Amino acid sequence: MSEKIYAWLLRLYPSRFRETYSDDALQLFRDRSRDEKGLVLSLRLWLDLFADLAVSVPREYFYAEPELVAASAQRPFNGTPLFYVLRDESLRPGALVLGSMLSLGALVTFSILLSQGSYHRPLSASSRQLQSAAYRSSSESGHPVRQAANDANFSARGEHETIASTSQQPTTAATAARPINATPRDSQSNVLLAPNNSLRPQSATPQPLDAATPIRTDTSPTQPDAAPVTAAAVRNANLDAAERQRVIDGAAANLKEHYIYPDIAQKMAEALLVHEKAGDYDGKTDGAAFAALLTSQLRNVSHDPHLDVVYSRVPLPEHPTGQTPEGLARYRKAMEQENCMFEKVEILPHNIGYLKLNFFGDTSVCLSTATAAMASLNHVDTIIFDLRDNRGGYPSMVMLITDYLFDHPEYMYNPRENTTERSWTRSPVQGNRLADKPVYVLTSARTFSGAEHFSYNLKMLKRGTLVGETTGGASDAGIFHRIDIHFGMSIRETKGINPYSQPDWAVTGVEPDVKVKAADALETAVKLAESRLVKK
Amino acid sequence: MPKRKLDPLPSAAFQILLSLAGEDLHGYGIMRQVAEQTEGRMRLGPGTLYSSIQTLLEAKLIEELDQREDAKPGHERRRYYRLTSAGRKLARSEAERLADLLRVARAKKLLRGEYV
Repeated sequence: MSEKIYAWLLRLYPSRFRETYSDDALQLFRDRSRDEKGLVLSLRLWLDLFADLAVSVPREYFYAEPELVAASAQRPFNGTPLFYVLRDESLRPGALVLGSMLSLGALVTFSILLSQGSYHRPLSASSRQLQSAAYRSSSESGHPVRQAANDANFSARGEHETIASTSQQPTTAATAARPINATPRDSQSNVLLAPNNSLRPQSATPQPLDAATPIRTDTSPTQPDAAPVTAAAVRNANLDAAERQRVIDGAAANLKEHYIYPDIAQKMAEALLVHEKAGDYDGKTDGAAFAALLTSQLRNVSHDPHLDVVYSRVPLPEHPTGQTPEGLARYRKAMEQENCMFEKVEILPHNIGYLKLNFFGDTSVCLSTATAAMASLNHVDTIIFDLRDNRGGYPSMVMLITDYLFDHPEYMYNPRENTTERSWTRSPVQGNRLADKPVYVLTSARTFSGAEHFSYNLKMLKRGTLVGETTGGASDAGIFHRIDIHFGMSIRETKGINPYSQPDWAVTGVEPDVKVKAADALETAVKLAESRLVKK
Repeated sequence: MPKRKLDPLPSAAFQILLSLAGEDLHGYGIMRQVAEQTEGRMRLGPGTLYSSIQTLLEAKLIEELDQREDAKPGHERRRYYRLTSAGRKLARSEAERLADLLRVARAKKLLRGEYV
């Protein structure tokens, strides 16, 4: 028995040593155990053996490397490369088993860590640093609320990411878009605003400060009462039962009051009650997750993708102020400075017109800029609209530009508006030559809202070829209603008729006709346009 | 590659050389001889013993005997080792080095006359 144990222990030695001396070592062991009988002596024997193992095993491994030095000395450098095999024996089964178990373990650990990455403290800590940097840069350009949020101690990770991504947007877009945010409940303004939220395309669940949320307390310096949000006010995401109750009741009340179809509103309110009684909400302490749950439950009943329950870590103001004259003035100035976000108006080779538009500015401010831009492209043979960085804007501007693309009034579906006389383009535009020219629209996953309004209709009317990525899926059709300090919901209150009798781009986005990476979209569109022009 | 060093001569290697000075021995014989000549203070374990033997063999200080003349049939085959002349020379020089040290120790009155 003890000999077997020692034979097993001998396996610890490097193979080279075992091959030569394991028999001898075993023999020695047999000799000693034959001669040294009795408890004390055999105890001493084993003590010796273990001490010997502890000393000699590491030493043997240290010396066990093949004699590379000697080998290279034998074969001096002669211009041909030399290769040395460290060990010419095959692996032991034990080593294989151990190796595969280790790699399996590492794989499992890695995938678990990866799937729970967003809940992993160190990761969120590092993203927090990123955000701080982002906040700092944004605070320099005057965002009092964000600065306050920066000072706060966050624990709800969902929102940081949202806010971080918000503040990492190009400042130009943010500058231009900001004043519009300050028109929260004004349904007349019909602002189609992009969410500035790069997370949205990846996630169908509503993010806090959602696309459909005209109130953007984190980005609107024109809301004086939202500004003095202190660190203390920005609290943890931990929901208690009372707040959940307020949110459920508030959501049900808002639906009954505002939803366009009372019977469906009733059904949704009942569904919430059923879920509540079933205990589905018990223990839900994460605000964003709770909002997402409510949203999916409401959509299950109504099949209305425009419906959104929204969680905002930053407290929502109780009485959001409307547009102030100062805010409007600032907006005008910003838009003028940015050329109404008409970033590029160019004529490319082969007389291809290229218009890069990053925001559909209000026609009351940008009318002249837009008409000038369209006039300068009047004689092109093909026109490319680059909306890859376009986050949305005003329907009036969307309509103004589409006016040029038709020679007769055409219905443009807009989920945000009831069907009115202005739902049709005012085509033809006098002196315009673009009505029959091929149109390409470049899209990206960050093409939002008003830009989707534009793309969707041109695609459905087969007036334009969409090249790029599926758009962000922000219809912004809802009107925002505050439910509680951190919760609100957006409810669509219009009945714009969708002639294409299918869901619009809400949540899903607009599929391009030619799917390529956003970065390659321009090149692809130019090639398509050129080949089409050559055929003519 | 790290080379096994015999300079300075490890005490285990020196003891093995000493044990082989009188007669050719197999592994266990060496171990017992070493234990005897150190009055039981050094009991070479198999690992230490055979790795030292390997080193000494590589340095050609000892050699392995092909076949022990008195090997009986049925008897377990054992490897016997014999001191080479180089080994003997090295053992002697090591002993002289120790003797020198001893002289120094005596001169410094660390040891009194009755020892050795």
